[in-house]
Amino acid sequence: MLVAGTAVSDATPPPFRTGILPVLTKAGCNAGACHGAATGQGGFKLSLLGYDPEEDFERITRELGSRRVEVAHPEESLVLRKPSGQLEHEGGRKLRRDSNGYALVRDWIAAGAPYGPRDLQVTGISVEPSDNLLHGTNLTKQLRVTASLSDSSRQDVTDLSLYTSNDDAIAEVSKTGEVTTVGRGLTSIMVRYSGQVAAARIAVPLGDAKIGMDDFPARNYIDEHVGRELSRLHVPASPLSDDAEFLRRVHLDVTGRLPTPEATRLFLAEPSSAQKRQRATDELLRSDAFVDFWTMKLADLLLLNGRGDTAAAYHAWLREQVATNAAFDRITRALLTSSGDLARVGSANFMTLASDPRDLSEHAGRIFLGAQIACARCHSHPSDRWTQEDYHRFAAYFARITREGGAVQISTRGEVDHPKTGKPLSPKPLGAPSRPQIGDVDRRVELAGWLTAPDNPLFTRTIVNRVWKHLLGRGLVEPVDDLRPTNPPTHPELLDALAADFVAHDFDLRQLIRTIVSSRTYQLTSRTRGVNRMDSRLYSHAYLKELPAPVFADAVAQVTGVPDLFEGCPEGTRAVQLISPATPSPALDVLGRCLRKRPCDGSAQTGGGLAEALHLINGSTINGKLRGGVIEELKGRSSREIVEELYRRVLTRPPAQDELAEWEPLLASGPDRTEAVQDLLWTLLNSREFALNH
Amino acid sequence: MKTPRPTQSHRCDGVSRRDFLHLGLLTSFGLSVTDLLRLQAAAAEAPGHSAKAKSCILIWLDGGPSHLDMFDLKPEAPSEVRSQFKAIPTSVTGLHICEHLPLTAGVMKDVALIRSLTHELGNHDTGTRFMLTGHRPTPALEHPSLGSLVAQTHGFGGAMPPYVAIPNDGVGGDSNAARAGYLPGACSAFNVGNDPSRVGGLQLPEGVSFARGEHRREMLRKMDAFSRHIEEGPPTRDRDAFYEQAYRLLASTEAKEAFDLSREKSETRERYGHARVGAGCLLARRLVEAGSRFVTVVDTGWDTHQQIFKELPDSRFPGSGKLPALDRAYSALITDLRERGLLDSTLVVLMGEFGRTPKLNALGGRDHWPRAGSVCLAGGGVKGGQVIGATNSFGEIPVERPVGPPDLAFTILKFLGVDPTRELTTPTGRPMKVMSEGSFIKELVGV
Repeated sequence: MLVAGTAVSDATPPPFRTGILPVLTKAGCNAGACHGAATGQGGFKLSLLGYDPEEDFERITRELGSRRVEVAHPEESLVLRKPSGQLEHEGGRKLRRDSNGYALVRDWIAAGAPYGPRDLQVTGISVEPSDNLLHGTNLTKQLRVTASLSDSSRQDVTDLSLYTSNDDAIAEVSKTGEVTTVGRGLTSIMVRYSGQVAAARIAVPLGDAKIGMDDFPARNYIDEHVGRELSRLHVPASPLSDDAEFLRRVHLDVTGRLPTPEATRLFLAEPSSAQKRQRATDELLRSDAFVDFWTMKLADLLLLNGRGDTAAAYHAWLREQVATNAAFDRITRALLTSSGDLARVGSANFMTLASDPRDLSEHAGRIFLGAQIACARCHSHPSDRWTQEDYHRFAAYFARITREGGAVQISTRGEVDHPKTGKPLSPKPLGAPSRPQIGDVDRRVELAGWLTAPDNPLFTRTIVNRVWKHLLGRGLVEPVDDLRPTNPPTHPELLDALAADFVAHDFDLRQLIRTIVSSRTYQLTSRTRGVNRMDSRLYSHAYLKELPAPVFADAVAQVTGVPDLFEGCPEGTRAVQLISPATPSPALDVLGRCLRKRPCDGSAQTGGGLAEALHLINGSTINGKLRGGVIEELKGRSSREIVEELYRRVLTRPPAQDELAEWEPLLASGPDRTEAVQDLLWTLLNSREFALNH
Repeated sequence: MKTPRPTQSHRCDGVSRRDFLHLGLLTSFGLSVTDLLRLQAAAAEAPGHSAKAKSCILIWLDGGPSHLDMFDLKPEAPSEVRSQFKAIPTSVTGLHICEHLPLTAGVMKDVALIRSLTHELGNHDTGTRFMLTGHRPTPALEHPSLGSLVAQTHGFGGAMPPYVAIPNDGVGGDSNAARAGYLPGACSAFNVGNDPSRVGGLQLPEGVSFARGEHRREMLRKMDAFSRHIEEGPPTRDRDAFYEQAYRLLASTEAKEAFDLSREKSETRERYGHARVGAGCLLARRLVEAGSRFVTVVDTGWDTHQQIFKELPDSRFPGSGKLPALDRAYSALITDLRERGLLDSTLVVLMGEFGRTPKLNALGGRDHWPRAGSVCLAGGGVKGGQVIGATNSFGEIPVERPVGPPDLAFTILKFLGVDPTRELTTPTGRPMKVMSEGSFIKELVGV
């Protein structure tokens, strides 16, 4: 058994891969900015963070006529003299002569610089404690890292691991794994050793005093998890939203529409109750607006950016899936395995997202697994466990497809080669053992089976995390397409529970939304309470969300009663129903829309900023709709009625007393009543309250 | 800005010194978990500077301009490397550039040509972000573009937006040229839309008088005060800042006119050329004249993977003819700025994300080559008529005075009075130097 970090002259020298390479990695030799760069540094190249031990071994022991290691005179070796500062070294002093690391390398060289057992490798690491609660700033905690090796041994690698704080405004971490709290909140420390990764969570309570959770009774399991974290971090929860706030939020989140004035009137007239809210939610889940909206969300996710027949077929297929409430695993399997005429088989269009199997595998990894695997195309992923071989074997699933003549077809030829050996690779799932190959059948079937299996943790988690982010304004993991062991969720158990629930309900999207919306957590007000103003990841209050451009445009059309017209689309088509993101619309361009060229995940790719403000103040989106429609409809009503009606339509709430007192006389006394009503409507549509889902 | 604030701020992030002190206080009990710290970024006062340049016009050649066919021709190289274009003499003795840039050749006495740009990021996206931020892109933190840093330091020049992007096919207003990174959204560029001749939203809608527009503005101020229950947060703060900028701009006739190209004589428009890059450069000149600090003119179509010798010079190829259009626009801009006495206060930068492969590919084009490229700087105190750095005989790598994107960013910022060594704060409270590496290119000022 080896104890890394101690320089004992042992009969067996440390193996290169598990004993020496980590010393070099720890010293920073193979970092991206040093010898780990693609072109090396100063004529000496190492693999990034040591992902290619055999090549590194060659480079160190064989290149440059072995001057890098001199077995006869270990201390004369360049690999020691340079980093210890005895010879000029551009990277500075990295390995002190009196350090354990220096001694380890020296003794290894003295023992003949052997590679050691070829198959011995690190199979995993664990960090203890994995969950740390520290009551205050300036407190420290020592992490301990243990590596498991392929020969079943374990070793303490605390001194040789690399540590990075995911938020160094909350916690800093030293080179030796000692954590110091510097701020309050929740973060984690990323730990890397020999190609393996792990993370430790760090929590520093926001408030000084413990708080009771009596005013946060759980409605379902979501609240139990959220409540526990709030209590642990001494953060009070805000009260429940009032009915108006809830109604507006749930309509925008579930259907991308505002409630009609009638729906608002009826809902607000009935006494508040959880049942009433549930009923309203269920109605929305059954609506056509739900289908339109979630079809758009899926099209955004899948980067549906074509035009014409094929895009129409793809869109129609997606809409059908949402309308019939198809299980999400089934939708995914269809996308991953369909073939045929692109204008007829909508689901086959997914395969046209990219023609290079590697590009397509990156899309699939991001969309369905929340995994950013692109790094591993050229070298091992620096903060995840994927190797170059993992990457290319995953890509091999997409190697045998042709896309000629407007149809996707299975081919019996096509390979993804290993970038180093140039040999074709057999397909293998990410992070799972190879599956037996069954002849010449469609490789994608095997992929789809593995990917959508209920026990694939990435698939279910990435889907529920995206839905959660849409509804709550922040993902349990952020960014939502970067799920990896070193980027842990804020509420790991909640994410697990949501994923398990999703599987238990047969991958039912509506049921998932229903469960989240029913929780107290979702229904909290966005008004903050005390110290919870500082919170942006514990869900102590509802977070503000901007209305996405198509939703904003549709809402303006809805409340003004003046619909938009989109070129080449039937009258009455709403922005969320557009099939192609290239449908001409200067308004959507300036308001911001997802062009579906690259992932949006909720944030627009165009528009915003000063141009948007100018457009809303002077442009046609609002000003072009202040004639006819609701303005005409309200003619002849009393000033008070008009104010109330406009508030109900635009803001989903009645005006407060001071608001009535301000606007009512303005409408009553102005020289031109129509102008006054137009101005009030303009004002409401330009208000920050309208622009936000709160 | 519609929420009453203790002090009226003229910075793009709406932060006054007083706000900063207030926020500093909050930080001590844990603001780090919120995004509120975005605010803090700008609070340190801009350093006093003796920089001559007040403004910058960046002409961004999107896709990666070919150094070997524009400013660094290698007539002696073998045919698989050599440009088919001839090298012509310029107004600087001994300096030759591409035959399709004859007007530019005439203004080279005002230009410092860097031939030794080099980096290692060969993808459009990463290369662009490296060049426009001076930082290697990382997923952990998005760095602000140079224009955002300038905007954040100098704030509004009167009513003019400090940072304007004149995009092309959506490029530039989108992912690359304009983003504010970790700075507040209000430091991002004002994207004028695809047609420089028609900038939208500057005129009151039909039937709305100035007085009525003001009345609406007052109503809006009251309305937003009524919905105070909508919490302050980054979305509301960015939005409020944009509305304030918008009203500032709308209130100034002079500022609005700056965006109106129709006020230029037809000879002037002719001189800049009718290609979009020409109109963009002319609009840029009007904007810096009126007080904008950083204007990016994006010209797309430089990603010449095929038929480079046909596409670049010949405007009969669809979407091509890049060289004649650029030649006209660039030379007209330099000349026009000089004639108006603005060249000394306006730094003009011409660059793209990288150079192109020395070896021609099978399609007669050149692929991405970040290891060598050319950059032109003029005006703003730059000593013109000089060449800085050199590449080897095939134009593959610098053999003299390599210049990296951090050096270039450092230098441009310094020219514009932004202290590159200043420390900013990211939304998570992390202190971050404006530039973490790079050094000033002294040759540009004749040292």
